[in-house]
Amino acid sequence: MTSMTVVRDQGGFWSFVRSQLRPRGKIFTPFNVISVPIMLLGLGILVVRFTKGLGAVTNLSQEYPWGFWIGFDVVTGVAFAGGAYTITFAVYIMRMEKYHPIVRATVLNGLLAYVFYAGALALDLGRPWNIINPIIGNSFGFNSVLFLVSWHFLLYMLTELLEFSPVVAEWLGARRARRILSSLTLAAVIFGVTLSSLHQSGLGALYLMAKPKIHPLWYSEFIPIFFLVSSIFAGLSMIIFEGTISHRVFKDQIDPKKHGSFDDIVIGLAKGAAISMFVYYFFRALIFLHDKQWTMVRGGWGAWYLLEIIGLVLVPCIMFAYGARHRHIGIIRAAAVLTLLGIVVNRLNISVIAYNWNAAVRYYPSWQEIVVTMMVVSAEIWVFRWIVLRMPVLREAHELPEQEQRKTARPPIAASL
Amino acid sequence: METYTYVNIFETKGLEYLLLMCFLVLLIYFVRYLREPGGKE
Repeated sequence: MTSMTVVRDQGGFWSFVRSQLRPRGKIFTPFNVISVPIMLLGLGILVVRFTKGLGAVTNLSQEYPWGFWIGFDVVTGVAFAGGAYTITFAVYIMRMEKYHPIVRATVLNGLLAYVFYAGALALDLGRPWNIINPIIGNSFGFNSVLFLVSWHFLLYMLTELLEFSPVVAEWLGARRARRILSSLTLAAVIFGVTLSSLHQSGLGALYLMAKPKIHPLWYSEFIPIFFLVSSIFAGLSMIIFEGTISHRVFKDQIDPKKHGSFDDIVIGLAKGAAISMFVYYFFRALIFLHDKQWTMVRGGWGAWYLLEIIGLVLVPCIMFAYGARHRHIGIIRAAAVLTLLGIVVNRLNISVIAYNWNAAVRYYPSWQEIVVTMMVVSAEIWVFRWIVLRMPVLREAHELPEQEQRKTARPPIAASL
Repeated sequence: METYTYVNIFETKGLEYLLLMCFLVLLIYFVRYLREPGGKE
């Protein structure tokens, strides 16, 4: 039954909304049982944070104004969302039609990551109402990297919303709106890829001015390049990880014939991840030589650096290559998990762990900061699940009349999302 | 007096050029490795 039929049959928009708000599937699932208490606790902590201030729930200080919320939610979360611009570029610009079945889920994932993780930025501002300042022109600095990042986050969220909007129009049965929105997809993708490449590197550029504070093994003038290149394989690994889970959890949403093709997609993504990691590794090796970093690879910091660069970059790169060549999906999945772990470690090293590395008093996140982060991640998964169970994200656009499906069929690349 | 010397592999960035050349050669082999199917499937 199409959404349009639902609207017509139940006589009105509100009936449709009510029907869509009803829960689908089991209520007492392991994820629900774990995530609901976390979200309730997180909401309680946020009430304290907004009534009593940051100091009441975080370990942030004048020496450590940026902590776990920035380091994990914003800096790491945005890297994980890199799959959206990578896949839309591959499908709409490079015409790699093989990856078309995962475009919708990937764009949705990217959109939600930006809304939740970049949105979590508001939690970390001492005066959160000032978040609007760069947009309305109140005392912003044109030369500030934060100015670029804030505008890009806003514009990219709108762009991803535009990329995803044909799905919403399809869900609502608004055919004319869908046609118009679909025709804007290619322009949105080009704009989105441009924005992404700039603000992924822009996030790294935020740390350029912190040279005296970041441990020399992690500081480099090329941090923006590292952030951009690593966002490619971070995004691809996230697609493999998220897609693997989605194909199990939402298997009734996917045409059984498509399950096999997902393995081919995973192998293709693994090749992309392996090559981008290879390039990233070369960049890191170049900086290692240029800055003569071997003099610093001793002691605890050196071991931690080697663990990141060998254990969580080189090893998964080899695993991706081996898994792709031998079509070993299990190895590829393990490599994706290791890569995601490597991205978390790398981003946290730059923003938290190796930041103020020689300070007398170290920063450790409070339990409240960790719970709020878990709340943000859980809330994103809840919204993702809600949308996937209702909108044609993993399903094909099979609910459109045949004539319209022909019109929107690829190759006219901008025709359908 | 300038102490720059053309035989110092660090100052001439010789090491970086060597690494770059190794990278380009290795990249070709790496891509070829990925393109060819593995022996046992």
